[in-house]
Parts: sequence; structure tokens; C-alpha cells
Amino acid sequence: MVEQGVQGLAGSARLSDGHSRAPARPRLRGPGSESLALVVPGTIVVIVGLILPLALMARYSLNRWVPGELMQAAFTWENYARFFSDAFYVGVLWRTLGISLASTGVCLLLGLPAAYYLSRLRNHHLKTAIILALVIPLLMGNAVRAAGWMVLLADRGLFNSIMMFLGVYADPVRILYTGSAVAIGLVAVLLPFMIICLQSVFDGISEAYEEAALSLGARPLTMFRRVLLPMIMPGIFSGSALCFVLAMNAYATPVLIGGPSFQMMAPKIYEQAIKVFNWPFAASMAFVLMAVTLALTILASVALQRRYGKL
Amino acid sequence: MTAIRIAAPRRLALVAGAYFAYAVVLAPLLAILWVSFFENKIIGFPPSGYTLHWFANALAFDRFERGFVMSAQVGLAATAFSLLLGVPAALVLARREFFGREALHAVLMSPMVVPGIVGGAAIYMFFIEVEIATDVPFAGTMFGLILAHTLIALPWTVRLVTSTLVGMDRQLEEAAMSLGAPPLRTFWRITLPMIRPGIVAGAVFSFVVSFVDLEKSLFLVGPGRTTLPIEMVNYLEWNIDPTIAAVATMQTAVVALALLVSDRFFKLTRAF
Repeated sequence: MVEQGVQGLAGSARLSDGHSRAPARPRLRGPGSESLALVVPGTIVVIVGLILPLALMARYSLNRWVPGELMQAAFTWENYARFFSDAFYVGVLWRTLGISLASTGVCLLLGLPAAYYLSRLRNHHLKTAIILALVIPLLMGNAVRAAGWMVLLADRGLFNSIMMFLGVYADPVRILYTGSAVAIGLVAVLLPFMIICLQSVFDGISEAYEEAALSLGARPLTMFRRVLLPMIMPGIFSGSALCFVLAMNAYATPVLIGGPSFQMMAPKIYEQAIKVFNWPFAASMAFVLMAVTLALTILASVALQRRYGKL
Repeated sequence: MTAIRIAAPRRLALVAGAYFAYAVVLAPLLAILWVSFFENKIIGFPPSGYTLHWFANALAFDRFERGFVMSAQVGLAATAFSLLLGVPAALVLARREFFGREALHAVLMSPMVVPGIVGGAAIYMFFIEVEIATDVPFAGTMFGLILAHTLIALPWTVRLVTSTLVGMDRQLEEAAMSLGAPPLRTFWRITLPMIRPGIVAGAVFSFVVSFVDLEKSLFLVGPGRTTLPIEMVNYLEWNIDPTIAAVATMQTAVVALALLVSDRFFKLTRAF
């Protein structure tokens, strides 16, 4: 039931499809030369266009930067050492981590009731409308959505105007260009992923379990904690992992909503690669970001599996 | 099935929580839509009146028009390549069992997993290196941008076409073949019409993810050759006014139209 979730986006790609109703039929054995010719061109494009450049960038992260020229071939860890010894960059990493964890947590808190309600909704038209309302913003591009938050959260934006009109405060409160604004923007960007992910898991759980627990006298929150929560753990994990990864790598939201003083990792990588032209350092930052993201995702998966069994 | 009886206040809290979450997702889009009709140039609430002037103003902006044309061209080209490469690959991956199938699938899906900013930086450095080695420019060219966007789009095509194929009954094709239809004709007359929903969805998603891509393109655009999302971010870094809201509204309209058209062929929710 999870494979119909956002699994492929999150990482583990699977060929099975949770929606197919047709009985599984055995696949033909052997690739056959003509079918290799069908699958190889796309694979080559990905290998040459992405995997080779990534390997090259891994190598560059060990090179030495010489201002004025591109870089010097070397085999040194000094770029990584520089990153971790510079309080500024360590601060950027911590800030990125903090914002990502916070927005993932908020997404989970908001996503659980939203997904549960959506999954148990009996009105099909309303259900389709809500799903469309969630999917369409997902594909709007982050620039448009960041612009929307800028309108809402600016000093003279809608939120401040309403608060001042209601007399809650006399002068506008600064929200835009703060960490909270970035967190709000990220939550809005990531929430659809979380809801769709969790909804597909709730869809696979029969209401009979809930009824059984409730009719045996469990209070709704106890029922949720003891019955539903263990069953939806795989969805919670894949949704949270996806949100966390996307938050760690966010670019448009921190640049536009955070402003120049709120620094996160992805904009810094861009700055080092394009503006400073320090490729070795940009490359090492990219790999630090990927490694930290991956390590935390694996840690969370191990911790959850220890507590709830296989995900 | 009987409805579960949950006390009214709890039920209310659940519904309120759910709709609050949907509102958070939709709020920025609605705000942009609203502001793009404001009469006053400096955004303030409530507006002094409403006008369509900013849409004309946005269209008159050269940079947005060029950005739009560029994004549309790159998106269409990337969609074409992603279908050419992805549909045949999906056919093989969904129907054949062979050593290394999972590995090939993982390679084809990998652009979805590698973060945009990391992939963009790597492709950019690679292009510059190739340029130094061969004297053929890649970074900042249309070709480079299309290649990168093909990478963004390819996993979506593979994923969506594969999911249609997996759910497909093969008996019709077997019947056609056993009645003497050659393989190519069987494909053209039987297989292709059956997987058309997947292909349409693959094409629409390819176009949309390419059209709105920001992170990978950031590294690969050149002077005077910029895509619409990047033009928007550059503009938004300095000012926010009804003109940019009108641009965003028009981009949203293009994307929403593409998605609504595809929803008739292929349930959008199946894509995720």
C-alpha cells in the first residue's frame, strides 16, 4: 500500500503499482537484444548527464582552490575541513537542519488530520476537489508560492493589515525575512507531499480496526496511538523523509522569504559555484549537504524500525 | 459500513485541523491571484480598486515574454526527448525480467532522487569542463538547458508509463499476435492505444516539471537566455508588485490548464 505513496520520489523506486487491479502476470524472461536497444539510450543519457557529473564533482571536492584560476588538481580534505572549522558555515548547516526538522514536524502535525479526514471522506466530488487543490500547487513552482507568502507576510501584507485593522497591534510586525517566515513557506510547499503520502496509507487501513478499538472502549486518541499509529508508520516515515530532504535542499523559499540575512545551504552552494567560482568548496558543501541528509534519514529509519518493526 | 461515532467536539477539531492544512497550501496561490487584480501599484490591503492593467503590463515586459518563450521551448523539447527515451525504456522495464533490471530502473529514476541544486552544480561543472576540453559551449546554451530538463522529466515519463503498463492486461496483445499481427503492428494498434493515458500523463508532467524548474536551471542559463521561473525569482528579490503577481497568475494558469486536461486521461493522484 505504500508503493502508491511518494516512495519513488523519496528514493526507493519500485516497479510494482499499488493501483493495478489486473492479476500479476509473469514477465518475459531475458532482456532480448531488441529490448536492450530500447532501454539503453535513456540510461546512457542519465549516466552521462547526471551520474558522471556527480562523480566528477566528488573528485573536485578534493581539489585545491587557487583564486584567479579554476582549481588545482590535488587530493586534500581541506575543503571539508574548512567547512567544519568555519563557524559561519557550520551555523548555516545548523540553521538548515533546524528549519528542515521544524517544518517537517509541523507538516506531520498538520498532515495527519488532513490526510485522515481526506482518506475517510465519503463524498467523492469533494475528495477529488481537495486532492486537486493539493496536487496543483505542488506543481506551481516554488517561485510562485514564495511570491504568495511575500504578499501575505510583508510589513504591509494581508496578515499585518488584518491584525492592525483588528487592533491586535498598532504597528506592523516583521514576519517576512525571518526564520519563522521561511518555516511557514516551507511547510506550505511540503505539506501536499505529506498529505498525499499519508492519505495513501490511511486508504489501505480498514475502518474496521478503528471501530473494533472504539467499540471495545478505547478513547479516540488511545485508539490512534495504539492502533492506527503503528500501522501508518511506513507512511509517516516516507512522508517525513521526503519533506526533510526537500527542505534541506530548498532554494527559492529561503532566498525569497528569508532574504539576504537568512542563509541556508542550497543558496550558499549556488553562490560558491557561480559567484565566487570556488568549485572545490561548492562541491564539498554539496556533498556535506547530501551526506547529512542521508545520514539523518537512515538514522530515523533505523530508530523507527527498532520501535515499530519493519517499515 | 457504519460510521464511526466520534464525539462532536473531537470531530469538529479534526475537520478544522484538516481544512486549516488545506488553507495553508492554497493561501499563497489565492493571495497571488487576488493581488494581480489590485489597482494600487504598491501592495496594500484593502485595495483601492481592481484592474486588468497589470496583465497587459506583464506582457509588455520583455524579460517575462522572453522567459516564457524560453521556458515553453525548453519544456516542449524536454518533453519530446523524455518521451522518446522514457516510453521504450518503460516498455522493457515493466514487461521483461532480466538481470540488472532493478539497477537500470534505479538509474533512470535517479534524477528524481538527486537534489536539484546538487545535480545542477554537478552538470554545470561538467559542461564547463567539456567546454574547456572541446571548445564547444554547453553551459548557457539551449542544448545544455534542454539536456538538463530532459533529465528532470525522464523519471516522470518512466514512472507514469510503467504504472499504466503494469496494470495492463496482456491478453489482447497475445490475441493480436496469435491472429498473425506482426509485433510492430501489434504495438501500434493495440499496445499504444492502451497505454495512451500513461503517455499523456508522462508528457504533461514532463512539461510541467520542466516549465517550473528552478534549481537545475539556475546553473545553466546564460545572459539573455533565462527561463520564466528564474526571471521571476530575480524580479522578486528586488520588488513585489501586482505586475509580478500577474506573471505568476499567468504561469499558474498555464500549469493548471495542462494538469486539468491531463486529469481527464489519467487520475492526477496516481502520479504520486
